[in-house]
Amino acid sequence: MHMEPANFPYLSAILGTTVAGLIAIMLIPAEKKELIRRVSATFSGITLVISLLLFFAYDRSMGGFQFVEDYSWIPSLGIRYINGVDGFSLPNLLLTGIVFFTGVLTMWEMETRVKEFYALYFLLVTGVFGLFMSLDLFFIFVWYDVSLFPMYLLIAVWGTTRKEYGAMKLTLYLLAGSALILPAVIFLYFKSGLGTFGFVPLMQSGMSGTIAPWEQKFAFILLFLGFGILAGVWPFHTWSPVGHAAAPHAVSMVHAGVLMKIGSFGVLRVAIMLCPVGWSYWAPLMAVLAAIGIIYGAFAGLRQTDLKYVIGYSSVSHMGVVGLGLSTMTVEGLNGAVFQMFAHGIMTALLFSSIGYIYDRTHTKMVPELGGLSRVMPVASTFFIVAALASMGLPGLANFWGELVVFIAAFRTYPPLGVIAVLALVVTALFMLRVVQRTFYGPVDEKFSKLQDVSFFLGVPRMILAAVLVIVGLYPSILFDVIHTASAPFINGLPK
Amino acid sequence: MAYPTLAALIMATFLPFAAFLLIMIFTRMKPGLSARLSIGSVAVSFVCSVVLLAQNWAAPGPVEYSTQFLASSGLNVQVGFLADQLGLLMLTIVAAICLLVQIYSLGYMAGDPGFSRYYAFMSLFAWAMLSLSVSRSLLQIYVFWELVGLSSYLLIGFWYEKFSASQAGKKAFVMTRAGDVAFFLGIFVVLLNAGNLGVLELNGPTATRMPHEVLTLSALLIFGGIVGKSAQFPLMTWLPDAMEGPTPVSALLHSATMVAAGVFLFARLFPFFSLSPEAMGVFLAIGTISMLLASTMAMVSRDIKRVWAYSTISQLGLMIMGLAAGGYFAGVFHLTTHAGFKALLFLCSGVFIHHFGTNDFYELGRSGSRGLKIPTISIVIAAAALSGVPPLSGYFSKESIMSALAGLSNPMWLLAGLLGVFLTAYYSFRVMFVMFFPKSVEQESGHAHAPDHAGYRAMTGPLVFLATVTVLLGFFEAPIKNFLAGMLVIDLHAPETNWSHIAALVLSIAGLALAWFEFGRRGAEQVGFVEKIPPLYRLFAERWYLDHIYGLFVDRVIDRGISWLCWQNDNKVIDGAIDELAGGTVEGGRISAFLQTVMIQYRLLAIFAVLVFLAFYFFFEKI
Repeated sequence: MHMEPANFPYLSAILGTTVAGLIAIMLIPAEKKELIRRVSATFSGITLVISLLLFFAYDRSMGGFQFVEDYSWIPSLGIRYINGVDGFSLPNLLLTGIVFFTGVLTMWEMETRVKEFYALYFLLVTGVFGLFMSLDLFFIFVWYDVSLFPMYLLIAVWGTTRKEYGAMKLTLYLLAGSALILPAVIFLYFKSGLGTFGFVPLMQSGMSGTIAPWEQKFAFILLFLGFGILAGVWPFHTWSPVGHAAAPHAVSMVHAGVLMKIGSFGVLRVAIMLCPVGWSYWAPLMAVLAAIGIIYGAFAGLRQTDLKYVIGYSSVSHMGVVGLGLSTMTVEGLNGAVFQMFAHGIMTALLFSSIGYIYDRTHTKMVPELGGLSRVMPVASTFFIVAALASMGLPGLANFWGELVVFIAAFRTYPPLGVIAVLALVVTALFMLRVVQRTFYGPVDEKFSKLQDVSFFLGVPRMILAAVLVIVGLYPSILFDVIHTASAPFINGLPK
Repeated sequence: MAYPTLAALIMATFLPFAAFLLIMIFTRMKPGLSARLSIGSVAVSFVCSVVLLAQNWAAPGPVEYSTQFLASSGLNVQVGFLADQLGLLMLTIVAAICLLVQIYSLGYMAGDPGFSRYYAFMSLFAWAMLSLSVSRSLLQIYVFWELVGLSSYLLIGFWYEKFSASQAGKKAFVMTRAGDVAFFLGIFVVLLNAGNLGVLELNGPTATRMPHEVLTLSALLIFGGIVGKSAQFPLMTWLPDAMEGPTPVSALLHSATMVAAGVFLFARLFPFFSLSPEAMGVFLAIGTISMLLASTMAMVSRDIKRVWAYSTISQLGLMIMGLAAGGYFAGVFHLTTHAGFKALLFLCSGVFIHHFGTNDFYELGRSGSRGLKIPTISIVIAAAALSGVPPLSGYFSKESIMSALAGLSNPMWLLAGLLGVFLTAYYSFRVMFVMFFPKSVEQESGHAHAPDHAGYRAMTGPLVFLATVTVLLGFFEAPIKNFLAGMLVIDLHAPETNWSHIAALVLSIAGLALAWFEFGRRGAEQVGFVEKIPPLYRLFAERWYLDHIYGLFVDRVIDRGISWLCWQNDNKVIDGAIDELAGGTVEGGRISAFLQTVMIQYRLLAIFAVLVFLAFYFFFEKI
């Protein structure tokens, strides 16, 4: 595995920026809400710029881990502070930067406890960034928990529908996940006999068979379930619609857009890459669970009347596509899965961001109470509809390519499951179009007729997200080129 | 030579997309500018397509440009342009009708609050449809196929405040999506077995390397997409509902071009499909069923647009019959002529609807619709062409389909086709006679005078042009046939049977005569024979109960069946178990807390008991 050291600690700079932002927010008096918002926007904007820079500066011909920083931290336990990005983590890093920044702008109008909100929000995102870039299992575990803890408070304090229940449920689920991950990590640490938590040496011992097959199988299933809970793998998905619905908008965006990706990324980075033998043993189970999730999420979504529940269930379905890609054990499958992680993250962030605008104006997110919004707020409606179309897998928008590649890979490896997954496209179209029809079409309701359309400034975050969907949709190679640098060497290097 | 061709292709396809983006982002508030952008771009597309057609008129073979796409995803997909005879013909038809309809819309949509949005969607459609015509690979066709479906959804539901419109848009999208899923799977089958999605490769040697069963399977799956898009049996019921859209949209998308995309795809893959006689047999049957069912539905409708919609289904079925019978030229030629006269029918109807404000042609007749001279003459020409009256374009193309059918060994197909000819003439002229020989005319009809303003002129200009084309196109049968002969797929062994020509002509005149007897002659009751047989009438008017079946299926199986089960499972089983687990944990905590704290007063007793026990224990151990 090639490791290219960084000439400047860009990755630490991202973490440094979020921490600095956190400290700056803490130092500003709580009454100066406008200043807090501006500071948050500035610092999150800087992280977006750095992640964009990294995305385009990454050398695609060289591949491997780049921008690597490596410092010893606790030598006696073999814990090192190692950061580095490859083709799998880079799209996720960019995704986090985009969702982070647009999330700050989405919450611009919120007035309650602004300071505390943004402080916790920054803490949450620090954990997410850290997880995507870290190459040390100990740190991966720590970052995982750093990103979970603020979630509880963000939902329980700023949330809406059944917020205490939702927050508690989500936290318990995710802690159950981390309770499965920790023993597996420690198990691998001891079984490798290397005395290190470093990702790269552990991966080599997994590949070479130093970690025995049964050990890999055992560790894999723990890791898969642990991270899978966070990725909304069926049947451990019920926290996700409840949590989505309860969370404030920006948190829903991060939650569905990025946190669920931590789960699937964890499955890929830790479970699959460290335990390839376990992967090939459990792959059929992964595939079945993923296919059930795809079709089940779509059907369950059909019955929902709360906009956020609808999107929550569509996430279950779409994350099933990611899972299906990961289970195929092919280059195409991994490419499609990582692509879909990015596309789903952007799409779902746009959906929640648009719902946020609608909810702030109409004070409801129940579909039967809405209607005719297209006449009152045409631009805001357009954003939602674009995201809904992406979610239906319409060509020209990003999600189509991820789904296409995953479906083809699945069709080759597990033909019946591939067919089932494709059939879900019809159901998804049905429930998305129903929601669009009932929310945006039809005559204008008297009580909504005075509402304002989205202003230019408030439109900016939604515009960014919609533009990303279109750009990636028209030129998918922009992502595939990067992802391929990680997936092809990994699959080709697998033990026969 | 090569670069100008490529440049023309790029201009022809991408300019409307540029117009779409510009209108959506910049000129939403300026309707006039939006219309100019849109019309200007499609006019350039039209010029480019005509130039391309002229340039390649005598070209020996297809011109292809391709580039690698998605290489890094692990798939090998080539995208680019395929400019062969069929593609260029379709490109020209689409560009011409798009241009005419967009000009017409200047009058029809004038003053609509969504004027800019309308032209944006029209440009989106033009981009997708033009690109579809010259796509080089199946995946590329699928991409534009879906985008065409999107623009259809947006345009049907254009007046989204009307519930029926948004409902119809949704129905159209979901039903065609059902067919598209089959198409999508068909593409997978082809990709995994042939390793290639290029149209030329599939029509060439690649396909012959596929096992026969796999080839049949993939042909049937791809045909699923055709069934959805061209509204064939059993996915036909979305098309009549699609008439909720503005009439120019119906003219452009739901008669002349978009729904013909299905037939176009059939023609595109004709050599590939014809390797599987089993699949071709299925196609023939589906085309026949669709043609006859839709004709019966058209016989009882009182809504002028719906009659033409049913007739579109029926004519598309006829094209599929022609192609499936091996008549490549017959199918493509009928597609060409149909695009002209069907667009004309809709555009004329649009003038009447716009003017009198109703879709009911009995109502139109009573209001004095024949006062509008140009539309009246044009619509009669178009209806005559639809019925196959010589020497209009429809006559020639229909005759060639009949000869293709006559070439089949089983005469049943030809008989079905002839029955279709009879029914078509009957229902078309039913509309004509009711509209122009009404039983009674409301004599106030001051407003039946042809208005003379810019909007009306914008609408009638395209009518005159299309009517001229309809009259003249039939005489160009031989040159078009020669042009398409370059494709080298024309089945020339189809025998020229004269009797099928004569039979078709006689039957279409018979249909016309029956319509005259029932609706046209002085003192006619204007009640069709079907209406006199109530059970038959109900069957036809309820569209053979297809919609009821689908409604029941969606309601009982999907909404109240599977979806309900999933949701109950989430609530009762999964969450139930989780909540029990959480409750159990809390309960367990309470018990251990009880042991720790509430029992404190018993602790001394417990300590004492333990000490006593230990004392005895050690005491007896010593012994």
